[in-house]
Amino acid sequence: MKTLEIKNLHVSVEGKEILKGIDLTIRENEIHALMGPNGNGKSTLLSAIMGHPKYTVTEGEILYDGKNLLEMTVDERSRAGLFLAMQYPQEIPGVTNSDFLRAAMNVRRERPVPLFTFIKEMEKTIEELQMKPDLAHRFLNEGFSGGEKKRNEIVQMKMLKPSLSMLDEIDSGLDVDALKIVADAVNKMHEETGMSLIVVSHYDRFYQLVVPQFAHILVNGVIVTEGGTELIDRINSEGYDWIYKEFGVVPEAEEEVKRPVISLGSCAVNRGNAAK
Amino acid sequence: MKTIRETTRIVLPEGYSEYVLDADRDVELHLEGSAKSDVYLRIERAGNVTISADIHTGAHVSFLVWNASENPVTFQEDYTVERDAMLRIAYGEVNAAAMHRKGSVHLIEEGAGALVSSASLVSDEKDFELYVINEAPHTEGILQNYAVVLEGGKFRMDATGKIVKGAHGAQSHQTSRALCFDEKQNSTILPKLLIDENDVQASHATTLGRVDEEQMYYMQARGLTVRQCTSLISAGYLLPVTQFIEDETLKATLREELEKKMEEL
Repeated sequence: MKTLEIKNLHVSVEGKEILKGIDLTIRENEIHALMGPNGNGKSTLLSAIMGHPKYTVTEGEILYDGKNLLEMTVDERSRAGLFLAMQYPQEIPGVTNSDFLRAAMNVRRERPVPLFTFIKEMEKTIEELQMKPDLAHRFLNEGFSGGEKKRNEIVQMKMLKPSLSMLDEIDSGLDVDALKIVADAVNKMHEETGMSLIVVSHYDRFYQLVVPQFAHILVNGVIVTEGGTELIDRINSEGYDWIYKEFGVVPEAEEEVKRPVISLGSCAVNRGNAAK
Repeated sequence: MKTIRETTRIVLPEGYSEYVLDADRDVELHLEGSAKSDVYLRIERAGNVTISADIHTGAHVSFLVWNASENPVTFQEDYTVERDAMLRIAYGEVNAAAMHRKGSVHLIEEGAGALVSSASLVSDEKDFELYVINEAPHTEGILQNYAVVLEGGKFRMDATGKIVKGAHGAQSHQTSRALCFDEKQNSTILPKLLIDENDVQASHATTLGRVDEEQMYYMQARGLTVRQCTSLISAGYLLPVTQFIEDETLKATLREELEKKMEEL
């Protein structure tokens, strides 16, 4: 029974404390919703669990299956069974989806997956997510639409078979049909493998399709209240204002997320370094 | 496959041929091409290597110059390309040893063309000084250089396309790209176009960048080690060089050698 235990977690980004003491336990087979206004720490929590180098854990601990995640590298955490479907999946030019996925599958096996088995499984997964058949040969996320990137995250999740998946706004960029396809794929895997889930979404729609048993409301770096589906329903109809009043919290104002777009081989000519 | 151990003159045969340079001294190679020749030249061991080649009228010669030496090698190369002849050179520089190369291609008669490309994986010092000189009208010179610079590597690409006065209708184009994994930026690309004629076409493109940490994180988050990420990204960066090779055997050789090297990373 693999359990994720987060105890008194404090996380800073560039010296600023974002998470101010999070306690959270996720058991096998459970689905948890992580909710709260933007810019209050949801993505930070998921990134800290996965081990993004930008997020510094200043206090507290994260255990998975009894192992101290904070002592593990990002790739070790992945191989331990964690998966993060990212809000902004990266584009990697020059690396095909199939080469990438095969490499990622092989690192969690003693023997490499036979090519034929891999191709069959990839085809099946692509079909299930209703993506274009040429996905395998395209470069990883390069030139993908927002929706394609999100579905490709789920393709990877299906192929890598994690025991705990974190979905960071997987529904943004998906139309109604794609949302259903993604939700079906997630539910199927949850039923078949007992994979646990932490789901971050702003839309009730997704929580109606992938139904959480638990909801946690994150405001200004702390979990202010927890509950079940009734909590999600209430937020859906009333918003967060009642939470601010009832628990006496002030949400962190949403900041413009700065995302520098620097791809592989960005042009340095204009930076004046090339000729030195 | 022929082994070259000392200074040699070779008239390149028609079709595919292979040479291994394995010499305990300095070596001069004098090459002559008059036909369609595809040549795989593998450097196993050498001191200073001097190559001079004459590509005669109408000939189409392709070289894959693969450096497999464990020790530093210095190359001095000089090629002349005659009327309506075509020279293709692809350099494979993915070995761990230092390399210095000064190479010039002279397009001396009308209709001559040259395509010089390189794939470098740099973990020591790799220093290129390349010239393609359009000395006659309607000649075309292209340089395509790709490099991945690993920790401790130092890369320098000094690439010049020169069009002399009177070489009207000439073309000179070059692209140089370098991707660095090292925290310390240690690469230099000097793209140069020296043009002394009005009726010409010329261009250059240069990119020099560090690998994006977010990309590394994304790949690691799927379970790949830093080393595996480096290998995949490097292969993706360098393998496109194979598109500049026309001959299928040479193309396959370069692809296999590059892939083998990337897997070892």
